[in-house]
Amino acid sequence: MSPVFHCYIHIPFCHHICPYCAFYKHKPGKLANDAFIAAILSQLDAEKSVLAEKLDTLYLGGGTPSLLSSVHLETLFRGLRPFISPETEVTLEANPATFDLKKARIMREIGINRISLGVQSFQTGILKTLGRDHSGEDAKIAFEILREAGFMNISIDLMFSIPGQTESLWQEDLDIVTSELKPEHVSSYNLTYEEDTEFLKRHESGELDENEDRDANLFYQAIDHLEAAGFGHYEISNYGQSGFESRHNRAYWTGKDYLGLGPGAVSTIHGIRAKTLPDTARFVESPTLKTEHETLTEEDRRIEAIAMQLRTREGLRINRVCSTNEPCSIETVLRSNPIESMTQQGLIEIRDERIFLTREGKALADPIASALI
Amino acid sequence: MSIELTRNFSIIAHIDHGKTTLSDRLLDFTQTVAKRDQQAQLLDSMDLERERGITIKSHPVCMEYPAKDGVTYQLNLLDTPGHVDFAYEVSRSLAACEGALLLIDAAQGVEAQTVANIHLANEQNLRVIPVINKIDLPSADVPAVLKQLEDILQIPAEEAIQASAKEGIGIEEILEAVVARVPPPSTAEFENDSLRASVFDSIFDTYRGVVSYVRMMSGTINPRDGIRMMSTGKTYEIKECGVFTPKQTKRDQLNPGDVGYIIANVKSSSDVKIGDTITGTIRPAARPLPGFKEIQPMVFSGIYPVSTDDLEQLKLGMGKLQINDAAFTFQAESSAALGFGFRCGFLGLLHMEIVQERLRREFNMDVISTYPGVIYKITKTDGEDVEVDNPSFLPEPQEIETIQEPMVRAYIMTPNDYIGDMMKLVAEKRGELENTETLDGTRVLLTCLLPLNEILVDFNDKLKSMTRGYGSMDYEHAEYRPANLVKLDMMISGEPVDAFSVIVHRDKAEFRGRHLAKKLKEVIPQQLFTVAIQAMIGGKIIARESITALRKNVTAKCYGGDISRKRKLLEKQKEGKKRMKSIGKVNIPQDAFIKVLKND
Ligand SMILES: Nc1nc2c(ncn2[C@@H]2O[C@H](COP(=O)(O)OP(=O)(O)O)[C@@H](O)[C@H]2O)c(=O)[nH]1
Ligand code: SF4
Ligand SMILES: [Mg+2]
Repeated sequence: MSPVFHCYIHIPFCHHICPYCAFYKHKPGKLANDAFIAAILSQLDAEKSVLAEKLDTLYLGGGTPSLLSSVHLETLFRGLRPFISPETEVTLEANPATFDLKKARIMREIGINRISLGVQSFQTGILKTLGRDHSGEDAKIAFEILREAGFMNISIDLMFSIPGQTESLWQEDLDIVTSELKPEHVSSYNLTYEEDTEFLKRHESGELDENEDRDANLFYQAIDHLEAAGFGHYEISNYGQSGFESRHNRAYWTGKDYLGLGPGAVSTIHGIRAKTLPDTARFVESPTLKTEHETLTEEDRRIEAIAMQLRTREGLRINRVCSTNEPCSIETVLRSNPIESMTQQGLIEIRDERIFLTREGKALADPIASALI
Repeated sequence: MSIELTRNFSIIAHIDHGKTTLSDRLLDFTQTVAKRDQQAQLLDSMDLERERGITIKSHPVCMEYPAKDGVTYQLNLLDTPGHVDFAYEVSRSLAACEGALLLIDAAQGVEAQTVANIHLANEQNLRVIPVINKIDLPSADVPAVLKQLEDILQIPAEEAIQASAKEGIGIEEILEAVVARVPPPSTAEFENDSLRASVFDSIFDTYRGVVSYVRMMSGTINPRDGIRMMSTGKTYEIKECGVFTPKQTKRDQLNPGDVGYIIANVKSSSDVKIGDTITGTIRPAARPLPGFKEIQPMVFSGIYPVSTDDLEQLKLGMGKLQINDAAFTFQAESSAALGFGFRCGFLGLLHMEIVQERLRREFNMDVISTYPGVIYKITKTDGEDVEVDNPSFLPEPQEIETIQEPMVRAYIMTPNDYIGDMMKLVAEKRGELENTETLDGTRVLLTCLLPLNEILVDFNDKLKSMTRGYGSMDYEHAEYRPANLVKLDMMISGEPVDAFSVIVHRDKAEFRGRHLAKKLKEVIPQQLFTVAIQAMIGGKIIARESITALRKNVTAKCYGGDISRKRKLLEKQKEGKKRMKSIGKVNIPQDAFIKVLKND
């Protein structure tokens, strides 16, 4: 069976819990981090047989992986060392004010070569609304430290559609990114009200508003600004300078297999998707226990391809629109109601037997995907 | 028992004036029903009847009453439906009687239905015995009611009997009056002894088939006799005959003047027409009894299953209801918005509600009905006359010479304080005031001509709320009249939505069109493109709304851990699409239509 080239490690610790966040995370608590790192390594040991000799990408997400101490990072990477080559893209998610220059140098030394920095915004008011525990200044300092430590591939996370965010506030954030910091990559996320979050409750109570027109405008504003600054809009929420697109995320979008380590991490390997227990204490006891086993059918794969590939610059192969059970010809698909009318509406474009979202289509990727399945 | 000792009568009353209570009391007094068999309001035997306090089917009962003159009489009481929807059945029941107790609530006085009832009784030349009921109530005002009797109904006050069905006051006096004042069935009818029996109702019994209720006019009926239904010419053989005690009780023979039932080898109650005359195959009567009419539905509406899987079940249920309710008609139809369903005909609004309610209750059907309509008579420019009960079949405007609509004559009773409001309501409903009568110091009786179409939906509710419950209304069907009517179509993205097409008066079309367009806008979800909702009359747009296109709807993050959730969401949406109706390019959840129809 074909080996797995991609690995994700979930580090569920956060100093402070953001009220909009739906990831599996918690405060470090009294839990011994030694034991946690040991558990990750023992899960790796148990499941490494599926991995390729060298990984194409390794991604440490969270939570806040940059909260791990230098010692723990070093221990973890000693175990990962055999799977990393100089060509492996090794990303670590980091938050401002969680590392200093010394730690950043160690991160660089152990083999991390890409940092995704959780900035979200540089505006004090917006950061307050989001309940982040760092300032815009912290974010700039963190970025400078990373550069000084030698990171030449940095991504900055930004958020928009935040209550109180005007076009000009958003423009200030975009300007700081493109004129001041100049990262290689930007992820720009629309704030969404996720299940089981404090924000959703406050949204439902009417305290936090959502405005489709404003969201659309802020979305277009980001596209225009970042593209003008030389970033390629290669996925709905992701922009990269040429050659700096995230290889790890692209692996998800193209349906590649990946191994997930750590509590709540999802693996998809040889047609089976499973999740490690989303409970740190139990994970430490039995690191290989899984939940939510799913065997993916061809039709599942097809629907996932529509959901994800439509969002990318490479577009979706037209034949994906035909259901697995009732194959159809490309000609019939082209003449089918949703495709014809969405083309007329200027939401999609067809080129080289692929479907691409237009600028307006990108803002409506979800209902378009729904119309195509 | 000899004909001389038979009395056939019914009780007529405004709703809640005590008809059912008095009937029970009469059965009780004549010991027709043993005490232990009694349950409150014995005659309203269908659940729905008991709950709503209305009588839907006739419930004849035969009582033996030893009168004060020492002779025992046979009293046949025909409890009739109390609602105008069943006016024809009422008229047939009354035709089977020689007298009627007119019941008036001592606290409420004469009401609209009392007036309409008196008209019906007079048409049948019945001897009317006025009974003032509920005199036990502290609020009873007998002198006022006596005055109303004379002023409004032209009945001498001294004929009235004062009673309380609840307390058992005046019961014997009522029975004595029936014996003394109601004439026995006329013997003049019987000179020719050919069989003639009038059918005044029928029910379907699962075990015994169709049971027809008859009033014997001349001749006799015995088991194994051959009979002929005079309206259809079909012949049958009598299996059983009997009377009501009030349970059906077999007898060897039915005689002139009797009220009873027959069972013959009839398959479906649609073969037994109410008002028809039964005669013998041997020595048949030359002419049927007068008054027979084919029952025609007056109100039409589409009934659709909420879930398409229920279609067959719904058809089965309707079939079963029809066996017992020949006035209810249904016919398969399909609608772009609602799928497959049935075009149904009813005697009136109450009848429609009852059918819907019984489908829900007895057959567990979740149904939705379209806006009710009536039968229009159209003369086309080429001279052809057509009748239309479904807006979809209305000819094109340029082919129409005239459209006529059915009218009703309504009797509206209202306290003086609300006359102004009432007149406004009548005018709003395109009504025409024919007569105003002052009843007493506090109330008036308005007689007006109204289009049936206008009182179908909310007229009675409005009347009640406007008069704080003190107003009342009853009506009878009147003639057809020409009117400036048009067909209003609703369009979504340029395609008509048949379920919302209605025939309305030109002056009201715009308002209704605007209203419907707004409602549809509220329930149709935003789409990837702008959706136009238009109200149209004969190609001309009179109202429009538009649903702006979605602008942004996109998941922010879509990575390894999010994929399954995302796929399941899409699968759910795909499943949901199956329950959508596609009109033009627009996918609309069926329950959106249902919401509009329900709140309208
Ligand atoms: N106080 C009083 N209430 C009565 C009398 N007769 C009937 N009722 C009540 O009036 C209501 C309507 O009676 P019902 O017989 O159902 O009227 P129907 O609609 O004409 O059949 C019931 O609550 C009865 O209990 C009466 O003589 N006195
Ligand atoms: S730091 Fe990141 S992972 Fe932690 S709570 Fe905030 S948003 Fe969620
Ligand atoms: Mg009753």
